[in-house]
Amino acid sequence: MFRYESLEDCPLDEDEDAFQGLGEEDEEIDQFNDDTFGSGAVDDDWQEAHERLAELEEKLPVAVSEQTGNGGRDEMDLLGDHEENLAERLSKMVIENELEDPAIMRAVQTRPVLQPQPGSLNSSIWDGSEVLRRIRGPLLAQEMPTVSVLEYALPQRPAQGPEDDRDLSERALPRRSTSPVIGSPPVRAVPIGTPPKQMAVPSFNQQILCPKPVHVRPPMPPRYPAPYGERMSPNQLCSVPNSSLLGHPFPASVPPVLSPLQRAQLLGGAQLQPGRMSPSQFARVPGFVGSPLAAMNPKLLQGRVGQMLPPAPGFRAFFSAPPPATPPPPQHPPGPGPHLQNLRSQAPMFRPDTTHLHPQHRRLLHQRQQQNRNQHRNLNGAGDRGSHRSSHQDHLRKDPYANLMLQREKDWVSKIQMMQLQSTDPYLDDFYYQNYFEKLEKLSAAEEVQGDGPKKERTKLITPQVARLEHAYKPVQFEGSLGKLTVSSVNNPRKMIDAVVTSRSEDDETKEKQVRDKRRKTLVIIEKTYSLLLDVEDYERRYLLSLEEERPALTDERKHKICSMYDNLRGKLPGQERPSDDHFVQIMCIRKGKRMVARILPFLSTEQAADILMTTARNLPFLIKKDAQDEFRIIEFMRVNLKELKIIPSEIIIELKELLDILASAEEMQRSVGLIEKSEVLPCLLSPFSLLLYHLPSVTVTSLLQQLMNLPQSAAAPAPSNPHLTAVLQNKFGLSLLLVVLSRGEDLQSSDPATESMQSNQWTEVMFMATRELLRIPQAALAKPISIPTNLVSLFSRYVDRQKLNLLETKLQLVQGIR
Amino acid sequence: MNYMPGTASLIEDIDKKHLVLLRDGRTLIGFLRSIDQFANLVLHQTVERIHVGKKYGDIPRGIFVVRGENVVLLGEIDLEKESDTPLQQVSIEEILEEQRVEQQTRLEAEKLKVQALKDRGLSIPRADTLDEY
Repeated sequence: MFRYESLEDCPLDEDEDAFQGLGEEDEEIDQFNDDTFGSGAVDDDWQEAHERLAELEEKLPVAVSEQTGNGGRDEMDLLGDHEENLAERLSKMVIENELEDPAIMRAVQTRPVLQPQPGSLNSSIWDGSEVLRRIRGPLLAQEMPTVSVLEYALPQRPAQGPEDDRDLSERALPRRSTSPVIGSPPVRAVPIGTPPKQMAVPSFNQQILCPKPVHVRPPMPPRYPAPYGERMSPNQLCSVPNSSLLGHPFPASVPPVLSPLQRAQLLGGAQLQPGRMSPSQFARVPGFVGSPLAAMNPKLLQGRVGQMLPPAPGFRAFFSAPPPATPPPPQHPPGPGPHLQNLRSQAPMFRPDTTHLHPQHRRLLHQRQQQNRNQHRNLNGAGDRGSHRSSHQDHLRKDPYANLMLQREKDWVSKIQMMQLQSTDPYLDDFYYQNYFEKLEKLSAAEEVQGDGPKKERTKLITPQVARLEHAYKPVQFEGSLGKLTVSSVNNPRKMIDAVVTSRSEDDETKEKQVRDKRRKTLVIIEKTYSLLLDVEDYERRYLLSLEEERPALTDERKHKICSMYDNLRGKLPGQERPSDDHFVQIMCIRKGKRMVARILPFLSTEQAADILMTTARNLPFLIKKDAQDEFRIIEFMRVNLKELKIIPSEIIIELKELLDILASAEEMQRSVGLIEKSEVLPCLLSPFSLLLYHLPSVTVTSLLQQLMNLPQSAAAPAPSNPHLTAVLQNKFGLSLLLVVLSRGEDLQSSDPATESMQSNQWTEVMFMATRELLRIPQAALAKPISIPTNLVSLFSRYVDRQKLNLLETKLQLVQGIR
Repeated sequence: MNYMPGTASLIEDIDKKHLVLLRDGRTLIGFLRSIDQFANLVLHQTVERIHVGKKYGDIPRGIFVVRGENVVLLGEIDLEKESDTPLQQVSIEEILEEQRVEQQTRLEAEKLKVQALKDRGLSIPRADTLDEY
């Protein structure tokens, strides 16, 4: 009998022959028995043997734990126990083997014996592999949500019994250790990246769909591209890709393009494997470009309209709207519209056996092929579609190497490209294209409304819609292991650098650094507020897309965001009063900040917006100065760049003359109004401000005017000079704003006679002061306002006499004719 | 563009004559026979065209398989307009010679420039050291 000195001595790769050797002592067994040398000598797995041993080893600790009362059992006893079991089993095996094929008997008999007790150590290797397999499944599915690797790489099998263990151990890892390339055929067929050779479109679909983008789908049969003949009858085959043509306005006049020989070839080919049609075959049919199946369409459709139905069951789902009790094609031209509209509206619904192309896209694809064929036909006839095309077709005809890339390969590539365009939220992923297309459509809609011209059909790329899946990522865990794996992946990134933010003390920094830091802080605040703004602007769209229950929540979110935006703008100070404008001014010094404020204003409440406006007015000269500095900075930047551009690498000495020329032109540009106006950002604020003004009460308007002109509170002796006002008037934005404010005041005064006398008194006072100031300013210093409100003449006429009125008119160019 | 509106795809360019500019500066002209999703190209009857000044020379190369990442740009060649070019075709040896001469003059100029800068105490760092940023 075997005696093991220690468990380690037990040879792991013992095979049955060794066990058989035990039988040598039994004289009934022939030494040269079948098992060792004959037919029974199956090359059985070492794994199986090992497994058995592993089971044995399992039993030992279990036995130990069961008999804890017995104190310390020494090793020899354990081994003896072990041995006994082994011996028992072996004897059993030996006896049985006399009768039947040992391999089979063993397999059958020992299984139940060796079955691990449920709940025993489940960290055995074989179980582990199964767990591993299970784990890798969801893990990989999470990391690549669009691909279900297991389905992809492994054959579908229902959960099998213990016989599986061996198989599972082989497949502890999925066959493909690299991440599967979307769109490539399954591993065991061909290497990554080669287009499928087996069949054209239908099983194509199968293959392409193997990496399933959507998990929500009706249960489908195994997705392996089974050999062609097994999967579908040619009938089905042909109907599958071409059901879309059911709705297709089929030109009745399509003659068979193929010669009888080729038709036969194609048909024959379709039965088995169409394979590659050599270029020569194609060349024979002038310009025939199209998959064999597509070519079969005319024939099939013409011949067997009725027999197209019923289509493959998948297509019931495809045309989920009216069931495909299709009338013959001629009746269908109006069909595709509502048909496909329906489909489009149900885009999230999954259509199992079509490609990811939207039905309209497929229709277009086929249309394209149709057109090509038509053109070729016409070419042979009298038609002339333009010399360019004909010469191109000529070339194609004469080019013996044309169409080396088959149509199905082209389709394959374009399908990959389409798959890359899948998105759950096209508005988010493909913002610019969506907006561009909306604009185009609005334009054409507007045109159509105006005139009844032919509407240009703009083909829009319809990307496949993919249902969004929520994946809760759970890091990999193995049962029975101590602790968690430190596996770092895209979904579970590991902290690489421990970066701690340390704020330096104030003493160390120089003034410059402080300024820089402050500016940086402002920039950060601007960025944060901008993202809030973008979210808020997007809410309208989200309202439309959301369900009823979600809407209150959305509204709240929006309000909250608006509040935080305002807080960001004004600076969150603990005090109720916001004494310092500093924060806001800092933001306004930056161009982006100004634009952002202009965009935020419509969302703020009147009060908040008025506050902003006041602050702007108060600090207007400073802001104007900063705006001007920005301009100069831009011009300087451009000038320097021009200089650099002029330096030719091969020349070492720059001609002075050239340099002067550059400078001169730059200065010229500087003087030109266009450039300066373009770089000014403050004017962008004018329109939101004016809009706001229309909502403001007169009190506010009055105080606003005061702020704007920096007028003293009382009508005391005016200061000799008013630099604030001067600055305002010299700036385009400032002047425009002033005029708008005046206009608004005038509106209020004239429209509402029942205003409080207090207010109107105040207004009158302010107006007097204002007119006084305006009269003082020399005309040359005035800027050109963006727009001049019309009611200013009547405004001024109330407060000044005729002569001064004329003066004001000319100064401010209030009368149109003077311009 | 017709194949998939709104996108750029090479599928319509198949079997047409193209000019391909590669990252290493080579210009290839050939018939585009096959593509894949990475824009790897198969060019047929390819010719490498070397331009020096107003002259150019063609070196026939046969079939090229170009890895997509090395393509800078490519464009279709209009076969009818292909011949109206102000450029003058010369033999291969001549153009290679011209290219060599041009290369030499460029190097010498570069050397002069660097020397002049050095004399003034300036230095332009080499391009490859800037790759870190």
